[in-house]
Amino acid sequence: MTSQSSPLSSLSGFYAAEWAGIGRQFANSGDGRAAVVARSSLVDAIVDQVYHHLISPERNAPLDLCLIALGGYGRRELFPHSDIDLLFLVADRPAETSHREAIAVMVRTLWDVGLRVGQSTRTISECSQLHRDNLEFNIAALDSRYLAGSPELFRRLRDDAIPHLVGRDRQDLVRNLADMTEQRHAKFGNTVFHLEPNLKEAPGGLRDYHVACWLTLISEIEKKGRSVAPEEHWPPALRAAADAAFTFLAATRCLLHYRYDRDDNLLTYELQDEAASSGIGSEPGRPLPTADWMRTYFRHARSVFQLTNRFLEEALPATSSLYGLFQKWRSRLSNADFSVLRGRIFPRQPSIVDDPALLLGLFELVARHGLELSREAERWVEECLPRAGAKAAGFPGLWPAFRRILNLPHAVEALRTMHRLGVLVVLFPEFAVIDCLVIRDYYHRYTVDEHTLTTLQSLQALGVLRRETGSGRPRQEEGGWERKLAEIYSELEQPELLSLYLLLHDVGKGMPVENHLAGSLDAEATVSKRLGLGAGDRETARFLIANHLEMSATLLRRDIFDSDTVRAFADKVGATERLKMLTLLTYADIKAVNPEALTPWKAEMLWRLYAQTTNYLTRGLDEERVHFGAENLAKVDEVRRLVSTSANAGGLGAFLEGFPKRYLETHSPEEIAAHFAMACQLVSAPVQVALRARERNFELTVLTADRPFLFASLTGTLAAWGMNILKADAFANRAGTVLDTFRFVDLHRTLELNPTEVDRFKTSVMDVLTGKVNLETLMSGRVNGQALARPKVPIPTQVRFDETSSSHSTLLELITHDRPGLLYQVSSVLANLECNIEVALIDTEGLKVIDVFYLTSRGSKLDSAKQDQVQAALLGRLSGDPA
Amino acid sequence: MTKLEAIIQPSRLDSVKEALREIGVTGMTVSEVRGHGRQKGHTEVYRGSEYTVDLLPKIKLEMVLPDGRVDAAIQSILKTAKTGKIGDGKIFLTKVDEAIRIRNEERGEAAL
Repeated sequence: MTSQSSPLSSLSGFYAAEWAGIGRQFANSGDGRAAVVARSSLVDAIVDQVYHHLISPERNAPLDLCLIALGGYGRRELFPHSDIDLLFLVADRPAETSHREAIAVMVRTLWDVGLRVGQSTRTISECSQLHRDNLEFNIAALDSRYLAGSPELFRRLRDDAIPHLVGRDRQDLVRNLADMTEQRHAKFGNTVFHLEPNLKEAPGGLRDYHVACWLTLISEIEKKGRSVAPEEHWPPALRAAADAAFTFLAATRCLLHYRYDRDDNLLTYELQDEAASSGIGSEPGRPLPTADWMRTYFRHARSVFQLTNRFLEEALPATSSLYGLFQKWRSRLSNADFSVLRGRIFPRQPSIVDDPALLLGLFELVARHGLELSREAERWVEECLPRAGAKAAGFPGLWPAFRRILNLPHAVEALRTMHRLGVLVVLFPEFAVIDCLVIRDYYHRYTVDEHTLTTLQSLQALGVLRRETGSGRPRQEEGGWERKLAEIYSELEQPELLSLYLLLHDVGKGMPVENHLAGSLDAEATVSKRLGLGAGDRETARFLIANHLEMSATLLRRDIFDSDTVRAFADKVGATERLKMLTLLTYADIKAVNPEALTPWKAEMLWRLYAQTTNYLTRGLDEERVHFGAENLAKVDEVRRLVSTSANAGGLGAFLEGFPKRYLETHSPEEIAAHFAMACQLVSAPVQVALRARERNFELTVLTADRPFLFASLTGTLAAWGMNILKADAFANRAGTVLDTFRFVDLHRTLELNPTEVDRFKTSVMDVLTGKVNLETLMSGRVNGQALARPKVPIPTQVRFDETSSSHSTLLELITHDRPGLLYQVSSVLANLECNIEVALIDTEGLKVIDVFYLTSRGSKLDSAKQDQVQAALLGRLSGDPA
Repeated sequence: MTKLEAIIQPSRLDSVKEALREIGVTGMTVSEVRGHGRQKGHTEVYRGSEYTVDLLPKIKLEMVLPDGRVDAAIQSILKTAKTGKIGDGKIFLTKVDEAIRIRNEERGEAAL
């Protein structure tokens, strides 16, 4: 403790005054680098004075003790409220004992002066050991700097102990740094795009910059046996970007320390405003809009983040021959355009090209295998982008290529790389408005573009979860909600469309519109047109974007166990495929707000709302019918417009009257108009058949008058041709016209490999329905269906009846395992028992079939005796080995 | 001082918070919980799989109030959380010995 008359008594006043002077200088200049160096020099002067007063008045003495600066102090990077890390290096244990009291007094004195001191005392031998429980000490020692005492001891530390440690334990040091960095990054969501980032700890912050320095130091010390200035060993381009980033971050951190008056590094909204208005980190005194200033921050953080990740990857060794084998395997992923070396992609032809297909092919490789781009590939992209990108907008192959990327296992990695290199905003200029966009919000943690990419990441994770858990029945258990959502994801017919909608759902937030939904819808319109999306897909896009907040609002603000709530929500959604997409969009959107946003509680509520709405949509189908003219349906107006030139346009109302509303929800206006045109032909040809090849299956549409055994006949015909039915809808209007739609897989590729068989197939359907061909005869010569795989988890056949969901039909729900000809067997049983199928919804989930039939018998619901008959017949028919 | 604990339906949270805010109660802790009273559970079927809904999602509000404000808070909650159906929830009151504000170590009602 200093006495009033001691030379040290004025030190605290001196320190305070000089510290304030540094603060004033910083306020004028905004120069963070100068401020941290100035404080380091100030502390040097104080430490020197205290040391020589209390421990040794002689320079370079005592010979068995050396005072060393570590960490930030060692780097001469003392921020206004950073701690001072001191190492008292002693020659041996007796020296430690002899100096212990003096060291304690010195440290207390420094605290009295106003410095927060962290201190350790070590021998040389201890400094050359790896401290597994305190690796931070080993890392801090890399930045050691001589302050006072024995130069020889310092030399032994710098030239012997540390190089010896690094030479022997380099892998452990690097692995530890990597682990600590990985944990720190994970704590911050592995993204730089935080709305209120922690300047020191967040990805892309100062700690990442130091990690890059340490990795270089370790590498150089190992090679040369001595310490170096790490930045001087970085490639010039990387160094320039890193220098600029450090200048910016240092200035900003100084501001934070002065404002908080403590070592607090959170860049709050208020401090962002102040930094922007002062031009901190860029041009002091030149104010910037806060959004622009934050974009500068993100740019710098991104370059630091990439620098650190790159150095980590290069530093981490191939730990085993197995890893080497893995890397060699990855080399086999090379193709004609790109080679893969050590897990990175290189262009084979590095010359500049203007072919968008080649550019997209590069990212398809990333998306397929999760590879990273080499520096050469990144440079190639940057150089090709102006020309190839200009052509991409009108490139007809843009959507096919982009959708392939979206469907691949590492799609998000590809999208992030595309975004980082500026490719995404060239392909989708609509996305540019949300690049690094900060929207201040209590709940959202990330910038809008990062939020969007994080939603896609959540979807991708569901795909991974689904692949890992395999198929099987969902089990009721705590925390199983994500597994259930993963099952929904696997059922989507076009998951890439959901990904595309997610990419666009928030772009409106970057537009000068009052309601961001309107802006996002405008963006969707231009993108959909450019990509050539079909009308049905566009309609779904518009619905999802316009209503993407609806489900979360319902589950948080309405009583989801109230049937009125479910009904209202179901009415809004209209169809199960849309419901699945909206559920997954809601899940991904909430999860991307911040890491804690989607609690298990919320996930459960989301799942329950989904399940109840699905049940309502499936079971309430019969009640909700189209009454042409009684309701104002926008879709009907569009259909009316499409058929207006037809001579039969006046018959549209009669055609639509009585169909379940689901029919309108699940078909685009163009499809409905086409069905109407088919219906108009029934007068001359009583069975109308249309067959369409889709990407993964075929779609058969049949229009004809209702009659007994109709559904059985159709399903039997498909079974006879060896087709496996995935989904089917069977609807009837009031006039008794049946519209049946089947999606099926051509197991034997008959139609695909033999185009002439397409017409023969259609004719076969017509012939069976018109009675020209006997179904039994057709089935006797049928193609033996491939046996489907045995389900890993047995799926016992279940038959349930529901009397309450419909006022005039009995609902039958059948769950069983899929097998060839199943639907024919079921519909035959129903037909033989005189059950009329009013509505049928057929669906499969992997090997599990979920069929819902709305049945009547002689115009009424099924009585209990009939239900028992049906149940017994179905169970009897369907029990037994599926193979 | 009295601690007021209210278990309410999640859909009533916004209304209850607003009503409490109007009478000057702004400090509270909100938790997502599950539970049931007499409403117990029921079984639902989704695509052939049964699942039991026995613990229903609820919201728990906790606040410590000066004794003089407790009745007003209770009335606000009753008015806005009630739907009249089973499952509306409950309010519990317990006496609090002391309250301390961490920032400046204020004690008693001044800390509320």
